[in-house]
Amino acid sequence: MKKKKTPIKAKPNTSGGICDAAMAKAKLDAGQYKEAIELYKQLLKQADNKEWRSALALCYFKRAMSLAEKGMIKEAMVLWENYQQNAEPPYQGYDSYIAWLLQTNNAAKVTACFGRLSAQQLDEHYPNLAALLGLLIVTEKPELEAMLPKDSQFIAHLVSVRAALAAYRNNEPEAVEQALKQLPFRSAFRDFRTLLKAALLLPGSVEQAQAQALLTKIPATSPYYQAGKLLLATTLDGLELVDELLQCEQKPRQLIGTIKKFSKKQLELLDMLVKQKDRLSDKIKFNCALQYRELFGEDLAKAYCLAALATYPAGQRDFNKHFGTMDEFEHCRLMALNYEREKDFHSSDYYWQQGIAQLKKQGESGAFKIALIMRRIALHQPSSEEGVEWLIDSLDYDPGSRETYLKILQYYEHEPEEAELYKQWLDRGMKAFPQDVDLLAQAIKAATANKAFKKAAQYAKTLLKIDPVNTFAKQVLFTSHLAHARKLIKTKKFHLVEKEIQQAEKLTLGKRYQNQAQLLRGFFVLLAEDKKQGLQQIAEAAEKMNDGSACGYFCVIVEALLMGLSLPSTLKGLPQPPKNYQLSEQEIGRLVQIIQQYYGDDKSNTAVLHQALEKIKAIIKQSIKQKTVSEQTLLMLAECLDNIGHYELLAHCAKIALMQWTKPIWLFYKFYAEVDGRADQCSSFNIERLKFNYAKAREDSDHRTAMRISRFIDEYYEDQNPFVGGFFDDFDDEFDEDDEDDEDEDFDPFTGGSPLDLFEHLPTAVFEKLQKKLQDIMRKSSPERMINTINKSLSKPIDPSFILLNPDAFVALLMLQAAVELGIDTGVTGDQVIEFGEI
Amino acid sequence: MKTPYQILEVAEQASDAEIKQAYLQKVKQFPPDHHHEQFQLVQQAYEAIKDLESRTQYALFTVPEADFNGLLKQAFGSGPAPSISTEQFEKLLCAGVDAKRFNIAASETVTAR
Repeated sequence: MKKKKTPIKAKPNTSGGICDAAMAKAKLDAGQYKEAIELYKQLLKQADNKEWRSALALCYFKRAMSLAEKGMIKEAMVLWENYQQNAEPPYQGYDSYIAWLLQTNNAAKVTACFGRLSAQQLDEHYPNLAALLGLLIVTEKPELEAMLPKDSQFIAHLVSVRAALAAYRNNEPEAVEQALKQLPFRSAFRDFRTLLKAALLLPGSVEQAQAQALLTKIPATSPYYQAGKLLLATTLDGLELVDELLQCEQKPRQLIGTIKKFSKKQLELLDMLVKQKDRLSDKIKFNCALQYRELFGEDLAKAYCLAALATYPAGQRDFNKHFGTMDEFEHCRLMALNYEREKDFHSSDYYWQQGIAQLKKQGESGAFKIALIMRRIALHQPSSEEGVEWLIDSLDYDPGSRETYLKILQYYEHEPEEAELYKQWLDRGMKAFPQDVDLLAQAIKAATANKAFKKAAQYAKTLLKIDPVNTFAKQVLFTSHLAHARKLIKTKKFHLVEKEIQQAEKLTLGKRYQNQAQLLRGFFVLLAEDKKQGLQQIAEAAEKMNDGSACGYFCVIVEALLMGLSLPSTLKGLPQPPKNYQLSEQEIGRLVQIIQQYYGDDKSNTAVLHQALEKIKAIIKQSIKQKTVSEQTLLMLAECLDNIGHYELLAHCAKIALMQWTKPIWLFYKFYAEVDGRADQCSSFNIERLKFNYAKAREDSDHRTAMRISRFIDEYYEDQNPFVGGFFDDFDDEFDEDDEDDEDEDFDPFTGGSPLDLFEHLPTAVFEKLQKKLQDIMRKSSPERMINTINKSLSKPIDPSFILLNPDAFVALLMLQAAVELGIDTGVTGDQVIEFGEI
Repeated sequence: MKTPYQILEVAEQASDAEIKQAYLQKVKQFPPDHHHEQFQLVQQAYEAIKDLESRTQYALFTVPEADFNGLLKQAFGSGPAPSISTEQFEKLLCAGVDAKRFNIAASETVTAR
């Protein structure tokens, strides 16, 4: 339906058309040419104003160009003619107008226009029109040549173009080159020259790059651009070519196909791709791989289909039909990997275990794969405990995996209750890999923790033989020598002390260690040789070891206590820190270092460290009051005090910190220290406050603090009710708020689960399949018949009363029947269900 | 996407020594200071198949990639560079004459009689 034209009425001429003229000008400026044209036409009816006419002409021109841009060529032509009637020469866009006439095949007007076209206009003023005319003359409209000025450069160049084409036809490349040389840079045939030059270069593989470079020079505005693009496409291969062809119309696509000598199958595939371009689903791609496998190659098509089964499992039947039945293990492997990709580890475990069952049938040859799969399963277990069980099992199939030994040891190392298992695994590991650096390091750590310094030193020596620069081994050996030296001093076996200290000094570990050895020598001299000289040596070593007097003083106290010496008599005659001494931030850091070193050397040193800290407690308290101590340093000190369980100083740290920083960690340390780290002593009010701070820590992404608080609250709840899990049990491990599966408010710790739990390991898809089949069985069979069928699969027939008492067990048995009928191996037996039901 | 075997250009049955040899050759070909990305690819490929354990791991746990583009690449793979006949060249020129080509940009102010 045509829209009714609504003529824009000009306002009555009250002020000599000034108002209307302003409105028309505004419309013109705003690009509303249609409205402006109407207004100017009304104005011109009132008076033949030159300015208005010129503005009207401009409106016509602008609107013509805008409609042409939208493809409305005929309307554009009419508007341009209106423009010409209202404008004075020179006219704008005359070349565009001629191009539109050519496009609409308006022969009469074309002839008239060409009749008025001078050689200069064609050669100099209208380069775009000339380029278009050139292309038209050599392709579809050779008759145009006769209408153009004979004296133009254009016609002269056309002769060269024709000569080049003729030479190309006769396969005379040199003649082509010669003819093309006649076309200068400013010629209307400049892009034709580029195109033909590129075509000439094409058959050679080296020159192909040159041809490509040439073709990219044709500007997008050139009439030859499209031809250049197509020629460029013929130089492409593979995916680039396919992408290019999918953008082409059918005709040029076919032309490229002909040039590239595509086979019928290739053209068919191309057509299919064009048709399905925007809806290439997994199914279509899968079928395409099957249908055109002769193009892709059998192996590649098979590999593709195999991989595609992960996202298009319905293709399994077709896959089997075309490539043969898939190996059962391969099927399980692909399913497992697919579920892993979806992070459904429950299902992936199921398929890995099915795969393991297949590999077990292969005997020894499948053992290594089984071990690797078990280690893979271990990675995805919800708890480290379950993970380590898989790792342990994997060693049955591949006992030579040192990484597995190390992982097992790492697990038990952090489980204080499993110390015995740790020891056993360490022994097994050491037997299997006596020269392994990492295992030796583990053995050293274990021996040191057990105060078996001699053993630790032996391991360290072995380790140093393999790795002479191993710092850890050197430190252990150093600690061991010093510990031995202290023991010798304590037991007054002075004649052996110097040798021990010298051995420690031989280990090149740096100045700090040398000074520590020197400090011990001072004590030896003090007790065994010369008291005055000994005191001097102690004072010197303590000073060298530390920046300030307090840290040195602390070291001396610790050493004296470790050797069981009386503090008053030892410290008498040694410089002591002044009463108002304040530790600098650096000294606090050093003090933390010293405490950690002694604590690391021997965890049972805690009592000694506490005793020593008593002596400098006042200094520490005074020092951390300083505003200059950073939160980081204070936190470092608090963590250290937490490690050694010095709650008095820890509480003081928290108090000072809370005056400046109200962070969850400080509030936690405050409450924690107040109850000497015992969650059971914490008030419920403080626990509530900690819960709030736990949430805040998580909000701040301070996971470490959140974890620390959650553990403490857990301990509190475990102490309140030892039969249920802790407050945070459901989400402690991974902070998974969304995991609602674990919320089990009705969970009764005193009852077992249902026999249906035996099927828990099955992937959801398999479980649903079984359920569907189960419904089928229940619909089709009577209860008596069902019991008879079930009894056949059991070693001992069940009593009907058992079924009445255990409806879940009955359903579980029917599930088993469903699995048998579907040929699914659930790994569950009927006897297991009965056993479970009886419980 | 190429497999490590394809990157190192070794057979899937190649021994540890053969794989190492191929790796060293590739490292020579793509030294890290000049071909950083290529070198990394080579390095990763070697790590993936350098010994029996890594090869078994690769075979077991690599998710096969459903690379449809790889199929198309194969189907329209590289052939000999085509030579263009005059007829084809003219057809290319004709294919270039579409409606859009006529809408030429108007030249600057010009005189028309």
